[in-house]
Amino acid sequence: MTAIKTTNKEWQYGLNKQITFIVTKDCQLACKYCYLVGKNINERMSFDTAQKAIDYILSREDEFKEESVVWDFIGGEPFLEIDLIDKICDYLKTEMYRLNHHWFNSYRFSFSTNGINYHEKKVQDFIKKNHEHLSIGITIDGTELKHDLNRVYKHSEKGSYKDVVKNIPLWLSQFPNAATKVTISSADIPYIKESVLHLYSLGIKEVNINCVFEDVWKDGDDKLFEKQLVELADEIIDKDYYKDYACSFYSEHIGKPMDIKLENQNWCGAGKMLSIDAAGNFYPCTRFAQYSLRSKKALIIGNVNDGIDKNKLRPFLTLDRTTQSPQKCLECDVASGCAWCQGENYDAAETPTIYQRSTAICLMHKARVRANNYYWNKLYRKLELEGERERYEQNKIVEPLKTC
Amino acid sequence: MVQYLVILLSDKSVPFCHYENKNTGSLLSLNDLKKGLRFSMFENLSVQYVFPNGELPREYLTAIEEVENVKIMPANSPYVGGADVMVFNGLENLNPQKTDVPFVVRLYREEFFEDYEKLLPLLDKTPHLSIVFKDLIKFGENDFKQYENVQESLSKQVEKLYVDGKIPQLNILTDRMYLDKMRNCNAGVESITLAPDGNFYICPAFYYNGEQPCGDPDSGIFIKNPQLLKLDYAPICRRCDSYHCKRCVWLNKMTTLEVNTPSHEQCVVSHLERNAAKSLLTAIRKHGEFMPQLPEIADINCLDPFKKIENGS
Repeated sequence: MTAIKTTNKEWQYGLNKQITFIVTKDCQLACKYCYLVGKNINERMSFDTAQKAIDYILSREDEFKEESVVWDFIGGEPFLEIDLIDKICDYLKTEMYRLNHHWFNSYRFSFSTNGINYHEKKVQDFIKKNHEHLSIGITIDGTELKHDLNRVYKHSEKGSYKDVVKNIPLWLSQFPNAATKVTISSADIPYIKESVLHLYSLGIKEVNINCVFEDVWKDGDDKLFEKQLVELADEIIDKDYYKDYACSFYSEHIGKPMDIKLENQNWCGAGKMLSIDAAGNFYPCTRFAQYSLRSKKALIIGNVNDGIDKNKLRPFLTLDRTTQSPQKCLECDVASGCAWCQGENYDAAETPTIYQRSTAICLMHKARVRANNYYWNKLYRKLELEGERERYEQNKIVEPLKTC
Repeated sequence: MVQYLVILLSDKSVPFCHYENKNTGSLLSLNDLKKGLRFSMFENLSVQYVFPNGELPREYLTAIEEVENVKIMPANSPYVGGADVMVFNGLENLNPQKTDVPFVVRLYREEFFEDYEKLLPLLDKTPHLSIVFKDLIKFGENDFKQYENVQESLSKQVEKLYVDGKIPQLNILTDRMYLDKMRNCNAGVESITLAPDGNFYICPAFYYNGEQPCGDPDSGIFIKNPQLLKLDYAPICRRCDSYHCKRCVWLNKMTTLEVNTPSHEQCVVSHLERNAAKSLLTAIRKHGEFMPQLPEIADINCLDPFKKIENGS
């Protein structure tokens, strides 16, 4: 029968606690759209700090009740600190076992890497050692032209495409279902279609792609964006890519009005996650660390010595869609799937609050919805003509809209 | 809609809520005072002066009478005869020079737990006694228990007064009895503060703690994200029935970093007061009919509404 590949659900989606170690604020690259405005070579996490954080977390099983845990490592570029990461992961495994913790055997180590040193021996040794518990995403933005438009080395400003793409086959051989994450900024729009198709040609079957939340958009960007997505939709449908490849731009769930009471949940998971930086500070999400913020002070919710200040978590855990949204969002006919980032909301807000939703992405979302409608109308019609529509409807997997 | 203009006549104006004032500093300039008064007249605002301890220059005493006003004064002010609200600092020297005006007693929780009985004589002398904890945010689990015990003891005393035909009002015990909807401080919504630097602030605490001003008498009131000061935009408070709670936006900001989100401590203290009011109302009604129009206060099993949200109920 006809299958339509959808994006894979995150491991233990909705059941896991994501705990992020910001192991370094250094990176080989200086991507032009990177939200990490305060990267530097000095703030590297010590093992002592990581150990204190782990001891704090694992000793409070009653407070961290989630069924599973994702131990996430980010930077900068996390694999620059592979020795430290290896030591942290060994300690985590030992401690979870020693404490008979409910997370033992229900954990993942997760990485989002630029892929440049993926092939190096230390990284590969780490992968072999932990393979069954690993989730690694390599960021590649598409064609060489598109990738190198933004993802450039910090000193030479040389594009990094060639150094990343050579590691893709190794990565896919180790993680055949791996997905890549693509970020779209204003200058990238003309390259969307060819970039997604290029990633498919590299063997990457799932492309998770999103527009940056920052206010970077220019007049007319939404029209260009829509055009690119429509052209991409034509390619995906006409050439049957939809059977084996997924692109997160297209979803049956987006573009519907939302009920103010019944669909009032927050989009973002900030506050349910926990991030720790080199200084041992806790954050509700990495986006609230100082190196991620343009105009606001870091929003620290505790530290490895004093623990989490639960009062500072209360705003995050009671935040809902309607309280933070302007009226135009509440009345929007295509509201579903319109995402936001709590950190960007905080950074862009007129006051230091997480309760003012940024709507910089509004026109881009509406353009996405129009192209998405086109995609599904075209695909449904094709399935009907092929006599497959009914079977598709009967067998399709109904998944909730994936939020942050 | 803003209805009240609180005017701090000096940096040393007596603190009447959870914040502390400055021990040094200057008077609100006469020019700014007059601007504030004109603003109040243009905007139909009721003026509440907050007096410092000590004397004021004569021209100030003349200027402040240009509009109808309420005067909040320290209990030992040389002008206390004209006070509309008297503020006591701690439980020593509770000898009011004037009666029949509302009293505010600011104190630390330990003082209250140890010497709360010193407050009882005041109940006869004032139409309304407000207890304000200087260290509300420091309440811990043991303090909650002690607070509950002290309220129980105070409640018995207050009950006797009601039985004797008196109607004493003590904010932490009786305010909730008389309410059937939220009546909070509403700083920034119903009131605005003119500070000694000539600017407007959401409340005195915002001024004394170095927050950004929100306008001045020349340019008007400009509060950014003003909706967040309103009940509808407070996810915890809007589903709460501790109607008497100050819902102090300053304490909120200090403890949770958001003006619309109360701390655990503020919620639990308010709920203990709510529950004490419920018990007192029930006890008073056992002696005969008492304000039958007041609804019973419901039974609840949670002292912090945040828990209900966290648990998805």
